[in-house]
Amino acid sequence: MTSSYRASAGIMLAPAVTLIGVFVVIPMLLTVWLSFQDWSTQTPFSSVRFIGIDNFREIFGPTSIGRDFKGALVNTAIYTGLSVVLILPLSVLFGLLVYQRDVGGGTALRTVLFSTYMVPMIAVALVWSKLYAPTEGPINQMFSLAGVGPQPWLSSPRSALISIVFLNVWQQVGYFTVLAIAGLTQIPGSLYEAATLDGASRTEQFRFITLPLLRRTLLFSAVIAIINAVQVFEPVALITQGGPVGSTNVLTFHIRRVGIERAQGGLGSAMAVMLMLALIMVVCALFAFMNRRDSE
Amino acid sequence: MSNLGGRLSRRGLMGHKALVGTLMLLVAVASAFPLIWMVLSSLKTPAESMQIPPVWIPRTPSLEAYEKVSGVINVSRSMWNSLLIASITTAGILVTSMMAGYAFAKYRFRGRTLVFSVLIGTMFLPPIVTLIPLYRVIGSIGLNASLAGVILPNLANAFGIFLMRQFISGVPDDLIDAARVDGASELLILFKIVAPSVAPAIAALALFAFVYHWNSYLWPLTVLQGNANAYPIVISLSRLLSYNRGAINTGLVMAGATLAVLPPLVLFVFLQRFFVDSIVSSAVKG
Repeated sequence: MTSSYRASAGIMLAPAVTLIGVFVVIPMLLTVWLSFQDWSTQTPFSSVRFIGIDNFREIFGPTSIGRDFKGALVNTAIYTGLSVVLILPLSVLFGLLVYQRDVGGGTALRTVLFSTYMVPMIAVALVWSKLYAPTEGPINQMFSLAGVGPQPWLSSPRSALISIVFLNVWQQVGYFTVLAIAGLTQIPGSLYEAATLDGASRTEQFRFITLPLLRRTLLFSAVIAIINAVQVFEPVALITQGGPVGSTNVLTFHIRRVGIERAQGGLGSAMAVMLMLALIMVVCALFAFMNRRDSE
Repeated sequence: MSNLGGRLSRRGLMGHKALVGTLMLLVAVASAFPLIWMVLSSLKTPAESMQIPPVWIPRTPSLEAYEKVSGVINVSRSMWNSLLIASITTAGILVTSMMAGYAFAKYRFRGRTLVFSVLIGTMFLPPIVTLIPLYRVIGSIGLNASLAGVILPNLANAFGIFLMRQFISGVPDDLIDAARVDGASELLILFKIVAPSVAPAIAALALFAFVYHWNSYLWPLTVLQGNANAYPIVISLSRLLSYNRGAINTGLVMAGATLAVLPPLVLFVFLQRFFVDSIVSSAVKG
């Protein structure tokens, strides 16, 4: 079918390739190009003025532009790191709970866990802003039943970011649990049988069979979790507006504020380029780390 | 699962079961609590919302909060806009993904690997990276502040192409060749012969796309700036923000949230089998 279907291939690919080309690939290249220009988002692309790496100097410089961007970069890194560190172990634990056959109800648990992933983030943000309410909020109410004093949650710069991490983990963990279950089903049962015959305890089986064989799944989960985490926007836009005192100012929110609301398209694009580079570096580092452990 | 038949005494096994059961219950409660609380709170009267210690279950469930929401935002209009955005986008994604997935699965052509890699690469690109120029591109073709501007850039996506390629690869070549011998056109083969044999994957993709675009916030917010007539429900909800302070309006805010959550959640409950299967296959086969 090599040559006679070349025309067909072109027709079949044209819609998807054109759409993704025009609305994803070209804008991505434009972002890179705009990051070297002085450009207002309110004006046509033709009004750009080339300024070399000035935008990058500025976003890493000592002025308020630099401070805000570096703050957003750090906040995003913390937010992403905490999300991954919480989501991955929980997804394995919950995956084991769903997958085990000693106690029934695994599938029901999976349904409950995964349903949160269907909820629009904006609704998640609205609900959790009420759950976190200082006095009448259910979380502090339950804390007080347990004898713990009220926590400030979203209203203190020390706890606002982690509070948003919690709602993110709540929303996403079901998806990653399903990924973990997919990984668990790939592990041959005969390995566990052999280990049991050799007298290995369950802890040992988990440590030496389950975890090593879940490594590929966990790597995939980590990459997806990182990419999801840098997209956090709704809770910040809706509840905290980046505050208190910049503690929840994350990159997606900050780039949109600079590039769209303040129309500083060149600066915003430079920030977007840095985000892209940071993501590529982190994902490459993850893969390199896994490969090194594979070869050991 | 065989590993759990390990070396445990009878008492050990009972203890193990009790531990697992308790953990499962705790996880389920923690996971379900926010949504249950949302629905219960939407049925409370303002007086009940204010009470301390809180009333967990409303004594006289009332729909008052839902009526009040329709006074603040145009609920039916917003829901209609969301439906339009989600269903037109989904239809587009299905067609473009099936066509491209078929090409990648069944044709050999020069540059196939390169084009596929570039397309798949876009799957990992956070939308914020392209947001600023895309906003300008849509503006320059005159689609700013319109539903068309929200929909157009999303009519194709890499995840759909990837998923369709995975499943269409599994369709036997003989089936396709037989239809070709009969003189069927390639598009006819795709939609009449290939599509039915990958129906579960198409259903899964449809659901994913619908829920994703029902829920999507950043892009509509950016494109629609100011045109409240075109707001989908998730954007209209942010208008309830000013009612977000103090307990008195909790019911109102939760009623709005419930309205936005209901369509994707109902779809999920009825069709979750497809969701889960396709996630598993995208992870395992990928």
